[in-house]
Amino acid sequence: MHDISAAITTRFRVAATGCIIGLLVVAVAPWLLDTYLTNILIRTLFLATVVMTVDILWGSVGILTFGQSAFFGIGAYACGLIFTHYGFGPGWALAGLALGIGVGAVVAAATGWLAFFHGSLPLYASIITLALPIVLTQVIFSGGNFTGSSSGLSGFPTYYWDLRIWFWTAGTFLVLTTTAAWLLVRSDFGRVMVAIRENEERCAYLGIPVSRIKIMLMIASAVIASAAGFGYAAFSNVVAPELASFQLGTEFLIWTALGGRGTLLGPIFAALGIDTMSSWLSGTMPFLWKLLIGVVFVAVIVLLPRGFAPLVGGLFRRILPVRTAGAPARVLVPDTRSRLGQGADDQKPPLRIEHLSRRYGSLSVLTDVTMTGRASHLLGIIGPNGAGKTTLMRCISDGSERSGGKVEINGAEIGRGAPQDIVALGVGRSFQNTNLFDTLTVADCLLLARYRIDGARLFRSSVGIALPEPALDILRATGLDQRLADETGNLSHGMKRGLELAMVLATEPSVLLLDEPTAGLTRPERMVIGKVLGRLTRDYGLCIVLIEHDLDFVREISDRVVVLHQGSILMEGTVDEVVSSELVRSVYAGHHVEAAQ
Amino acid sequence: MGLACAVSAQAEETIRIGIPVGLSGANSVVAPSVVQASELAVDQINAKGGVLGRRLELVIADDGSGAQGAQRAYDSLVFQQKVDAIVAMETSAARNAGLPIVNRGKVPLIYTSFYEGRSCSPWMHINAWVPEQQVAPIVDQFMDEMGAKKFFLIGSDYAFGRGMLEFTREYVESKGGTVVGEEYLPMDGSDWTAIISQMRSASPDALITSTAGGAPNVTLTKQLRATGVDIPYGNYAIDEGTAATMGTDAEGIYIAASYITGIDSAANNAFLEALNAKFGAKAETPSELSVPQYEGILAYAAAVEKAGSTDAEKVVEALGEVTVDGPRGSITMNKQRHSPLTMYLGRVAADGSVEVIKSFPDVDPGEQCPQLAG
Amino acid sequence: MAILVLDILTTAAILFAVSAGLLIILGVMKLINFAHGAFLTVGGYMAYLNGAAGLSPWLSIPLAAGVGFLGGLVIERVIVRPLYDRPLDAILATWGLGIVIGQLITLGFGRGVQFAPNPISGTTELFGVDYSAYRLAVAVIAVLLVVALSALLKLTRFGLNARAVIMNERLARGLGIDSTRVRALTFGLGAALACAAGALITPLISVDPNMGLPWLVNSFMLVMVAGVSFPSLLVASLILGGAQVVVSTYANPILGGMTIVVAAALVLRISPKGFSRA
Repeated sequence: MHDISAAITTRFRVAATGCIIGLLVVAVAPWLLDTYLTNILIRTLFLATVVMTVDILWGSVGILTFGQSAFFGIGAYACGLIFTHYGFGPGWALAGLALGIGVGAVVAAATGWLAFFHGSLPLYASIITLALPIVLTQVIFSGGNFTGSSSGLSGFPTYYWDLRIWFWTAGTFLVLTTTAAWLLVRSDFGRVMVAIRENEERCAYLGIPVSRIKIMLMIASAVIASAAGFGYAAFSNVVAPELASFQLGTEFLIWTALGGRGTLLGPIFAALGIDTMSSWLSGTMPFLWKLLIGVVFVAVIVLLPRGFAPLVGGLFRRILPVRTAGAPARVLVPDTRSRLGQGADDQKPPLRIEHLSRRYGSLSVLTDVTMTGRASHLLGIIGPNGAGKTTLMRCISDGSERSGGKVEINGAEIGRGAPQDIVALGVGRSFQNTNLFDTLTVADCLLLARYRIDGARLFRSSVGIALPEPALDILRATGLDQRLADETGNLSHGMKRGLELAMVLATEPSVLLLDEPTAGLTRPERMVIGKVLGRLTRDYGLCIVLIEHDLDFVREISDRVVVLHQGSILMEGTVDEVVSSELVRSVYAGHHVEAAQ
Repeated sequence: MGLACAVSAQAEETIRIGIPVGLSGANSVVAPSVVQASELAVDQINAKGGVLGRRLELVIADDGSGAQGAQRAYDSLVFQQKVDAIVAMETSAARNAGLPIVNRGKVPLIYTSFYEGRSCSPWMHINAWVPEQQVAPIVDQFMDEMGAKKFFLIGSDYAFGRGMLEFTREYVESKGGTVVGEEYLPMDGSDWTAIISQMRSASPDALITSTAGGAPNVTLTKQLRATGVDIPYGNYAIDEGTAATMGTDAEGIYIAASYITGIDSAANNAFLEALNAKFGAKAETPSELSVPQYEGILAYAAAVEKAGSTDAEKVVEALGEVTVDGPRGSITMNKQRHSPLTMYLGRVAADGSVEVIKSFPDVDPGEQCPQLAG
Repeated sequence: MAILVLDILTTAAILFAVSAGLLIILGVMKLINFAHGAFLTVGGYMAYLNGAAGLSPWLSIPLAAGVGFLGGLVIERVIVRPLYDRPLDAILATWGLGIVIGQLITLGFGRGVQFAPNPISGTTELFGVDYSAYRLAVAVIAVLLVVALSALLKLTRFGLNARAVIMNERLARGLGIDSTRVRALTFGLGAALACAAGALITPLISVDPNMGLPWLVNSFMLVMVAGVSFPSLLVASLILGGAQVVVSTYANPILGGMTIVVAAALVLRISPKGFSRA
């Protein structure tokens, strides 16, 4: 236990050290710089804060946003409008700041609502974020004398503080927000953010409310960007539509890409460096400068997707080897309050499917499927390739998938619910392919699976991961409990399967949907899985629905078998009834002949 | 040490004039002619021995045609280059962004672009036109000479577009006419279909447009011609160069300007000759934007001469008193920091050239900055 | 009223022509080409060069298409292909490419407005009103384009392969379709369509380095709403373009300019598959 607390305090110590160094640099810098550079840098510091939020959204969560300038502009205009039209003074300044932040948050929430919903494409979200500044700029242009239209507002009363005070204000704001962001991305919640970036769909099937998290992050970064915009306008005494334009939003993206997305500090230094440099160079070669930036940008995206930060970081580490504050060691603890299996109710079948159908245009993949999954039963689903097995799983676990019919989990209809809603009803689903979250560790993955039940700490890491007993069994049997700190990309296939199953169990389902859980496993590994599945039905009363090709395995563990063929149920019965059926045999044989042709 | 002394002596010797201009962005189309006009003015003054025995020197900075670039340009000019004055042909957004820096750095500023009016700073003078000077010639021509009563106004949705048309509406109504429609398209909009259809159903006697220069103006004119509109058409945004390249589409458009290359005066002829002599084939066609820039530098030189030093406060005071005899005539920036100007009414001929129909001497800019009066 | 109907029809036709190149790339490559606006601009400059060379204005469209096709193939090979697995990076890279193209054009031709000659000028009488002849011609061309593109997809080998890739790329590869080649040709075709559209709309607008930009967001929204079929793109253009014209005419052209974006976003929020299900 001592080690663990040490790791966590190490992280806070690193954060505190970085923060203090940053503040010291900010404190000293104005005495070393001339008026011109100080002026330029004050503005750039505010912009760098916005770039940092772009990096959170894009680098950490994977939201490619062109629209962060809109929030910057909202904050700036809150300042310009209040000081120009309403009044000036500490009270008005606070009111303006609150207005900017409030409007920014509301707009971010609305944008998030439009852009993020289950099934929305990431590129669609990007388009929405591109449309946001364009629409906002248009609103500013139409504002006439109120917003100053194209000319913007200028010369409103503001605080003509000494340049040093402005520099300290902007610098402190940047250092503090960045420290908070640094802690955030390294916290448990930060792991969830990375998981969403790596595999959003899988997150949804673990019951993580992906869209809500994205919207929350969008709001949080909008708040910071608005505050930065407010500061920018109050300092420079000017607001203009270009502060909200998509061109500025694009520049933020370029700086983030060049600096190194997901590194927080890289984009900040890129912003400071490029913006300052462009003050010098854009005068002497305005068009060439933009062309150069564009070419470098494309080259970096294609050739150096992580930007320049890793290069610089690598160089730095070679010169000055620093022990990085690694992920904290974590321990697995049994979940004493586990509700796994307690949802079972002998009166109501946990899974009831009625007249389910799924069509893609004119193509019918499932027709009129009606079946029931009982507690403490393992239902095998077999059928040739293309019979609709995986589609059936999808229709059970995602309400927007089916074209007709009804699915009930523990007596509740799933309606059009998104996967995370259905997880909440008690469905757990494993997938055919094993690509988990390659850059996350085993412990991170388990933490992720517990998000729905235990939540995630925002700026800190928890030490213990509480898991239900069967999940712990699997981890012990596969040796994963010894490899909690390993990245999942480095695990063997069998271990990935085991981890996947443990993660699904960690969500404490009452209906477990398994899509070929033993594909590619060795015989002993299958035995382990088979044993666990047996325990889950026997001791925990789970209802398991299993897709499997290996009939021997099915025979060993299934209570009943459903045969799917061309999208409808061909037969249902005990394993022996099915295996001895002529009909089933002919279907399989026919299929093999077809495939051979 | 010796070197540092030499440098400071040099700095003492020359008078540095900052020229923030849109080398990139929307104004990059006119920027070359503005830079040429500035260089010509400085050359001519230096050839006569400079001002107070000191040579003039230009410091050119790109303002990106917008607020952010202008902040950088002004920061650089005021705090890094420490210029003695700024003569700026810029967008309104760039000017507004520069003003707080000028106020902080206390540098005389001469703004040389026509604009929507009512921009005031204790450090700024303006020698180009405002709506009060531009609107009357065209509206008077349409109402008094051509009998128009019903006007339709079309503009781009930005400060200048709206400012000009609002003033036009007031002016038309004050003369007893009516405005049957006033429509705007976003600044980058290029599809005027709906507005043109609305205009046709309103059947006005005359049309006045005030779009952003360049593409919006050209697309509007093209689309108007494509639908066969042939009522009297006044355009606030077209310049001679654009009219010349637009061919027959521009024929018949009325413009009002304080400068047209065809002004037949000794000063203008000398100016055109000097420009061609200096730049030869590379000479840019001078325009309403570059000629005031030329005169702005002459005005600054005259003001320094009068003040006897480059001291900012004294120069600002003198700027309101000196008179420049330039290509546009005699100009004094003495009306609340603005200038009474001679305005010309022109009509685009079939070959794209502009014929001067009438001139209106010393049109008053009206109440622009009453707080700075005197 | 006749004018309103003609405005709606021709506006929809223009929107369709401008978005078609985007749609085919989205369908086959699951990628939004953010350089689309720059491609439109290139088409405009081809029309300008064509006019400057004194060739027939009608030639500018095939010329632009040819240049777009070749350029598209090169760009696909150099920039897009390495990013197949990183769709968001592909967006960014094409966006950066758009910036580069814009700057190159600015360096080459300056920021100023250029002119391309108009193949048909003046008006034609239709339904009792005089209407811009070129806009009507564009409407006819757009209808021909729908027919030609649908035929391309339905009747040719390339179309068959492309449709297979659209439906299920893995399966298509399994059937021996060279999906890399299909993607390359598709990007070329999309770029060709975009450039041709640029040349097509040039007589209505003017040529300058930013001419493609205002069309960008509207065409993005249209293809998002339309899904991956040309007929549904035509439907989307008619409905949303029609809404734009109606709002512009009866409310305010500035609101009209935002109509497509706002309406499309709401449609997609309520029914994520847009019009493609219809």
